[in-house]
Amino acid sequence: MIVEIIDVIISGMINGSVYALMAVGLTLIYGVSKAFNFAYGSFYSMGGYLAWLILSAAFINSYLVVFILAVPMLLILGFLIEKMLVAPLRKRDDWEIKVMMITLGLALFLDNSYQVVFGARMKSLPSILEGSYSVGEFIISYQDIVIFILSIGGILILRWFLNSTRTGMSVRAVAQNPAGAQIVGIPKEFVFSATFAISTVMVGVGGILLAQKYFVTPTGGWDILVKSWVITAFGGMGSIRGSLYAAFILGMLEAFVGWYYGMNWVLIALFAVLLATLAIRPQGLMGKWG
Amino acid sequence: MDLKRNLLLLTIIYGIIGILPLFFGSTQFIMHILIICLIWSVVASCWDLIMGFAGIFSFGQVAFFVIGSYASAIISAKFSVPPIFSVFLAGIVAGALGILVGLPCLKLKGAYIALVTFAVHMILEPILKGDIGRAIGTGGSRGILTIEPMNIFGYTFSSSQLVPYFYLMFILAIICSLIILMVIKSHWGNAFLALKDAEVFATCLGVSAFKYKLMVFALTSFLTGLIGGFYAHYVGMISTRMLGTDLFVTLMIMLVIGGIGKFPGAIIGSFITISINEMLSPLGSYRPIILGAMVIILVLMMPDGIIGLIQKIFPGRNREEARTIS
Repeated sequence: MIVEIIDVIISGMINGSVYALMAVGLTLIYGVSKAFNFAYGSFYSMGGYLAWLILSAAFINSYLVVFILAVPMLLILGFLIEKMLVAPLRKRDDWEIKVMMITLGLALFLDNSYQVVFGARMKSLPSILEGSYSVGEFIISYQDIVIFILSIGGILILRWFLNSTRTGMSVRAVAQNPAGAQIVGIPKEFVFSATFAISTVMVGVGGILLAQKYFVTPTGGWDILVKSWVITAFGGMGSIRGSLYAAFILGMLEAFVGWYYGMNWVLIALFAVLLATLAIRPQGLMGKWG
Repeated sequence: MDLKRNLLLLTIIYGIIGILPLFFGSTQFIMHILIICLIWSVVASCWDLIMGFAGIFSFGQVAFFVIGSYASAIISAKFSVPPIFSVFLAGIVAGALGILVGLPCLKLKGAYIALVTFAVHMILEPILKGDIGRAIGTGGSRGILTIEPMNIFGYTFSSSQLVPYFYLMFILAIICSLIILMVIKSHWGNAFLALKDAEVFATCLGVSAFKYKLMVFALTSFLTGLIGGFYAHYVGMISTRMLGTDLFVTLMIMLVIGGIGKFPGAIIGSFITISINEMLSPLGSYRPIILGAMVIILVLMMPDGIIGLIQKIFPGRNREEARTIS
């Protein structure tokens, strides 16, 4: 019993860390540009498929190569998508709803392209590190440890980027006051695109990490989109610290509900907790209106 | 657009639709598509009302449609209520659930509302498939396979004779369109316009955002549930497959083509979308890709939809007004 509970806690921590990485990406883009990205889940699957493609090329079998190749690809892709699809809509006064629609169209396009290109069958990725560590009855695989370290590392890199680099500081400036940032000469359009690109990388890396434990399927991203969305709303949209706490709380909740009641109840439990929180604190745990 | 132009456009649209059975009445396939078009045109108009006019980012329209169809099927089967009444009861069930969802929702803003309403959509499938759903008779993942066909005063509408079915749905669609038009052009619609343009100012003048938004939530989910019930009795079998992303996006394309917040547009949009969808069906799995690409291109190229185009070609009396405003 105790071993089982510890297992559940560990799986909650590991899922929570990857969710944190993805939810922080979603909250970052919402906080900076107020755009909501419905295709977020499709970028998750894209990460998984990219990893699968790179690993199935015969001469490469290291995850290091996957990250070196996939991260710049996702970065460029995210940047181009923002420039081509979202940026032209910003001039309109009903752009928020238009952005939701265009990204929903993009999600449909990408998901079904995966289905045609890669087939409907699920793809599995090899584990990043074989073997496991055991103390008595209780076993933790190295894979889980690496996933945890990599996703926490990703969040720390983002933190360093936002706090200590010039581009990161301009991202924060635009988030706080878009008009003011433009007056002092920060290229607002570039910052929007850069933020979109960074969030694409974060969810793509989340896809590469989680795809080893679960599988890559064409429509698997919807689940991730909804979960990241719930986490961001629970933590407060636009608040990075809030999403971080929310990801671990909800990752833990998911693990326990899934273990005790079955996976069918996970989404229902997540939404019940979210609704209760929003009824008391409509702005989420740490969010601010506006 | 003013009331006269709106009514004129509606008359033209429904006039054309109304005489179509004269030409295609004998072709079952086309009649079936026309009925489906009418059904979706009402759902799309409801979505347009709530999203385009009231400015609430509700993504739960398909969920209310499914709730209505399940409710009507279960009520008519379990309590042997004639379908014509069970459809209304289904509307009331959907409307009540709409109020239930709306109450917490309307305290929230923008993307949060989208999340909560989309959440209703997402959790509906596990609920309908799970133990709770099976207990109230949803048939689990198999769905409900035998639903009584529609009948009025002893006359049973059968799926072999689609023309009467078509006209029944035609009348229903006209009634729904008129209700929506009345809402848009009444005090109600003006309140939404005021709230959208200057929320603080309107609230100070005594326009209650919460009351009006809750009312529109209830009304649209009632109408959507009602049409959902009709759909269930028309098609004869329902399952949770309706909750997939395919239908959801198709419904959205109708709005994009018709123009968001441009009322009769959604009706035109639904006819165009369903026709394109049917034409693309030989392409198999490439069809959703094309639909997705279509959404992207249409949002970029034609942001105001068909009605935007019509307004550009026939500017009418509103041109002067528009110029002074801009």
